[in-house]
Amino acid sequence: MPPKRKAPGASVGPKRSRTGTPAATPAASIGSEDDYSDSSGDEVAEEDMSRVINKFSITGHENVDAVATKKVDAASKFFVKRGRDNTHLQLKLGHASRPLWINPDGTIILESFNPLASRAQEFLTTIAEPQSRPQYLHEYKITAHSLYAAVASAGLTPEDLLGTLERFSKIAVPKTIAQFIKDTTESYGKIKLVLKDNRYFIESKDPQMLQKLLTDQEIGPLRLQEVVKEKAPQRGQLVIPGTKEAAGLKQAPNQPRVPNANAQNTEGGQQGTTDDLFTSITGIKEDEEGDDDEDEDTVHSFEISAESVETVQKRCFTLGFPISEEYAFRDDTKNPDLNIDLRPHARIRSYQEVSLNKMFGNGRAKSGIIVLPCGAGKTLVGISAGCTIKKSIVVLATSAMSVVQWAQQFKTWSNIDPDQIATFTSENKTAFKGDAGIIVSTYSMVTQTRGRSHDSEKMMQFLMGREWGLLILDEVHVVPAAMFRKVLTSINSHAKLGLTATLLREDDKVSDLNFLIGPKLYEANWMELAELGHIAKVQCAEVWCPMSPEFYTAYLNEPDARKKTLHYIMNPRKFQACQFLIDHHEKRGDKIIVFSDNVYALKAYALKLKKAFIYGETPQQERMRILENFQLNDQVNTIFLSKIGDTSLDLPEATCLIQISSHYGSRRQEAQRLGRILRAKRRNDEGFNAFFYSLVSKDTSEMYYSSKRQAFLVDQGYAFKVITHLQGIENLPGLAYSTLAERKELLEEVMLQNAEAGGQEKDDFDNATGLSYNANRRGAKNRRTKGKLSELSGGNTMAYMERNKSKNKDLKKSQFFKKLNRETERRKKEQLEMLKG
Amino acid sequence: MAPSTIRGFDEYLQSLPPITFQRLYQQPATALAIFRRMLPSLAKIFVTTLLYNDRPIPLAELQSWVRTESYREREDAFSKLRRLHITQERAGNVSIDPIFKKNFRLALTGGGDHHSFGVPVDASDDRKKVSISTLDNYAANQFDCILHYMVEPSGQRQPNPGVKILLITSGLMKQSERGHQPKITQAGFSFILQEGNAQIWALLIQYLEMCESLQMEKTEVLHFLLMLGSLELGQAYSTATLTQTQIKVLADLKDYGVVYQRKSMPDRFYPTRLATTLTSDVTGLRSTAASFTQALVAAGPVAPPSEAAGESGFIIIETNYRVYAYTNNPLSIAILDLFCKLGSRFPNLVTAKLTRASIQRAIANGITADQIIDYLKVHAHPVMRKNVLILPPTVVDQIRLWQIEGERMKTTPGFLFKDFASEWDFQDTARYAEELGILAWKDSKRRLMFATRTEQIVDYLKRRGEQQAVGRKV
Amino acid sequence: MPRVNKGVLVECDPSIKAILLKIDQDAGHAYIIEDLDESTLVVKEQKLADLKHQLDAVLRKTSMQEREEESSGDDDGDF
Repeated sequence: MPPKRKAPGASVGPKRSRTGTPAATPAASIGSEDDYSDSSGDEVAEEDMSRVINKFSITGHENVDAVATKKVDAASKFFVKRGRDNTHLQLKLGHASRPLWINPDGTIILESFNPLASRAQEFLTTIAEPQSRPQYLHEYKITAHSLYAAVASAGLTPEDLLGTLERFSKIAVPKTIAQFIKDTTESYGKIKLVLKDNRYFIESKDPQMLQKLLTDQEIGPLRLQEVVKEKAPQRGQLVIPGTKEAAGLKQAPNQPRVPNANAQNTEGGQQGTTDDLFTSITGIKEDEEGDDDEDEDTVHSFEISAESVETVQKRCFTLGFPISEEYAFRDDTKNPDLNIDLRPHARIRSYQEVSLNKMFGNGRAKSGIIVLPCGAGKTLVGISAGCTIKKSIVVLATSAMSVVQWAQQFKTWSNIDPDQIATFTSENKTAFKGDAGIIVSTYSMVTQTRGRSHDSEKMMQFLMGREWGLLILDEVHVVPAAMFRKVLTSINSHAKLGLTATLLREDDKVSDLNFLIGPKLYEANWMELAELGHIAKVQCAEVWCPMSPEFYTAYLNEPDARKKTLHYIMNPRKFQACQFLIDHHEKRGDKIIVFSDNVYALKAYALKLKKAFIYGETPQQERMRILENFQLNDQVNTIFLSKIGDTSLDLPEATCLIQISSHYGSRRQEAQRLGRILRAKRRNDEGFNAFFYSLVSKDTSEMYYSSKRQAFLVDQGYAFKVITHLQGIENLPGLAYSTLAERKELLEEVMLQNAEAGGQEKDDFDNATGLSYNANRRGAKNRRTKGKLSELSGGNTMAYMERNKSKNKDLKKSQFFKKLNRETERRKKEQLEMLKG
Repeated sequence: MAPSTIRGFDEYLQSLPPITFQRLYQQPATALAIFRRMLPSLAKIFVTTLLYNDRPIPLAELQSWVRTESYREREDAFSKLRRLHITQERAGNVSIDPIFKKNFRLALTGGGDHHSFGVPVDASDDRKKVSISTLDNYAANQFDCILHYMVEPSGQRQPNPGVKILLITSGLMKQSERGHQPKITQAGFSFILQEGNAQIWALLIQYLEMCESLQMEKTEVLHFLLMLGSLELGQAYSTATLTQTQIKVLADLKDYGVVYQRKSMPDRFYPTRLATTLTSDVTGLRSTAASFTQALVAAGPVAPPSEAAGESGFIIIETNYRVYAYTNNPLSIAILDLFCKLGSRFPNLVTAKLTRASIQRAIANGITADQIIDYLKVHAHPVMRKNVLILPPTVVDQIRLWQIEGERMKTTPGFLFKDFASEWDFQDTARYAEELGILAWKDSKRRLMFATRTEQIVDYLKRRGEQQAVGRKV
Repeated sequence: MPRVNKGVLVECDPSIKAILLKIDQDAGHAYIIEDLDESTLVVKEQKLADLKHQLDAVLRKTSMQEREEESSGDDDGDF
């Protein structure tokens, strides 16, 4: 192996190496996605953060690498741009058996059909961000954030990191990358904030680091005691409930436990053979790598007061040494224990176990984010984490509906006493009984400051007045950073667990989360989970609907951008496609959700097709009724949802999704909507496929947005089939708008709408509280951002003719529903009995 | 794939005057080659039936052998035989052209001293044996050099001046300004993406076209080319029986890698695989492509051991449109650049992406979606060959859709037929066009139809007219 | 014998045809030989390229694809 890695002592200090290489070439900032442009937020903190992040970049070291060894041939001219031509990176001996290429810009390409691929993949998900994971070649990117996560959560040393990379790589690891890893990891994860025996400690493995902090004029005076030295924390006897280990332990309680037996055996039997191969190639035995030379590890720490925690955190940020947080919950004697455990029937899946192992790897709880596709059991991961820590828990969700679901899930999966779990919504404001318990609420409930009712105020004081063991933050990617800051200052929790399906925001604010909550601990591979049957396999299709000539002419002539939108959403051919697909899938026995961001279209489609619909202004009770019917009534197989249905709606009955209007190019929304069918109950039936259709009007901007939206899913390995013609659509009995006269009538109606009807429902966040949503607030809150229409409200401002009878009302009167209610009550009781018994 | 590879040659042949055919069929090897390569199987059956029949057979009788639903194939076969002047029709009877008959019989049974199948030379006394792999390498190198020059005219490897002239006269490249390097044309781009054997034919046809201006006897050139296909790989052949013209052709074919000759041994030549597969069937073509790539891989400076072992494909294409090419061959990379957005390059890998813009750029350069898809398929990496469809179907669809989208309208060049004399006239003509598969659109009410070709319809209308005239006379 | 006109058969969506008819009309009927039906027409072969060009221009105006493609078309970020 040509470039031998340097001994740890030989590495140069970060400052010198950076000044030693003047920025002759503009830094191809590895964190280019960390473009902070949040004007509204907490300026000081954000500036600091962006400095910290952008301090590290892959700089011009490449010249050292290049030394005229680049291959020059007829194809060289195609790769003249910086970082494109990497022919100077020598192929190693036995490169065919090694699984990766590393580009000096931080991109890593993984050969997924290589014998060592699964080993390498596990390593890469720890140190790099997955960029694309289709069938054969995966791409990852090393970023400052990913390294932060690697160092902070996995506890890898730069030497481990570089050594392993070198071993897996087909070509010599670029010097730029080696330098970048050294620079970054020298600062990241070096300092931890530990809450232990109800005292706060600043802890580090490196005593010099602590000395450096203590000489700082701000931090120095805050020290309470001398620096102490002790053994590094170990995982020891900690067993995460629900895991195989836990099951094994129960069966044979007296057997001695093997420390650090990380249960990362997802590859099963393959492991043995690849181990041999790995060893033969690298000459390194499995046991020799890794970071758990426990005997030698010691840590140093000094105490600070609770009041100075924030000051120290900020100061450390400024100094470039972000603090990561760990919670030694087993040593916490001050906070009362919560009597909670997973029910015996609860088994967590291998990948859930892996993700929890990352969180509790050293026996403490690390704050961070776990990324699992919708339907892959995020809730259970959160509950298991809670059952591991066994202290009071706060769960924050995005809507009242998902608050109900969270509380329900806690009761289903754990043995929590129902009296000890409480919800805090506009409807329910009572705290739990006893010393410890669980509160489930929404982000808006806890951040809303004005106009709180007396009860709410009391609940807030309850929340703010105590310490919490775990704060679970659901759907972290949708919550604005400023809101998070509010949450984090008002809720005093020792550990924070962010859950999400897509760590993805169009405004690139995701990196904020790394510092507000913690590093990403785990990110699952969608295709892999689908292959294993944990989430449903989905056939994705984009259906191209030609604009009918009248609508197209009107579209071309319409000057108002929002009304243009309405033309392509209301395109009669799209309506027909929707009608046809619903008919087709209902006949197949599918349960169908139709999504429309545009409320005018939502209602128009649903009423014309006589289907039930839910949108922001649908009262909570009506919502529940419709959803229950959808789940249990075989006469109600299709429902229309506005974007309130995008997240956290748990409808395992749904097997088919049709999207008729969406939020521009939002990749996140596309992924979330897909998530609505990933947990399909029937997913393990042989040959089962769920269906995801996106209807787009041809020759309109919808086509362009559609391709943008798919980008994330396509990189996860989903293939979108384009359907240009639906076979047999002409012959569908009762096909709507099949005469010119009908289409013209529809067009007239559409043209009569005012521009607002073309807008979309407000952002998820405005109605996160569900019922408590206050219509009067909206006007004041409308912020208009450039090119975004999302804030414009839909429902209440539109002139809308209710000529067709609403299916929603049908459901209200239905005798069936009353019967159904009794049925479900009975079933619930039965279930409870069963669980008790 | 056979039809597409020889389409060019087929069209070329059909454009020749009858007199040329008379001369062509004087060589048994040529008669055999045309029979093997140019005729659909039904036509072959007709020929073999007629071959040893000394009396003409009524057309109706031959027609009755074919089921009515195969009308189209039958008409195709007769039409082809007519246009290649293999059959003659007189008063409702069919017979085989006597010259063709005589020489084709000779080719089948042997005999005569025509030497049209070449005269083998015993090469066992050669000091240096010419192995098949030497021939393969030579052919690959020569042809690669030509392709490379087209993509990169200012590159280090330059073909002989004769080749350069051919590329320009054939319109594959264009001399933009005096003193400047010529540039590749649209025709050149689509040439590059063609399958290997099709490229050889395309080049040879261009060569044939050029012959006339060089005062070379076209039939002699054709004889020689068609003879090459009947030669055996690895065998040396004498130059003694060749005409002056054919000696000149031999020198040019050396540049294309079709034949190999040693300077020290001007009295003999070796056909390469490019030559011996010229008139063979499809399986022959495949093996050409495979052995070729093998030769290319072996010739490359860095040959990844795992990929080189008998594997021909090097391109992986993902459902997210990313392309990964296991290659360090500048020609392969240059070809990818024709329709991909190239990313970065490693010693043994190039990353790229298919984008709407890259495909539409390729299409604007005259490359078709199908050519791109064929190219990707032919060169797909072994891991992709495990799939039934090789390429991800969504990507294939998308490439086609990008092409359609780029055009926004499907265009079919052809001919609009209007002003029919009667309803019957329209229906009969439309039916005939439909049976030939050349009817693109019709409207019975307005008596309008659009066909992609005219010749056959015009032929048909003439014959119909004659028959009607005869009928009236009787 | 019927009359034979050399030309190019154009098949397209009705919406595209609407645009084509408008282009033809604005140019004093310089492009179209025969209007066949809702989605088909025959145009002059030598005018085809020009017609395509004009159509592209109209389509570019109606969707924002081109603008975006230009800005993201050559960015390094893709890789």
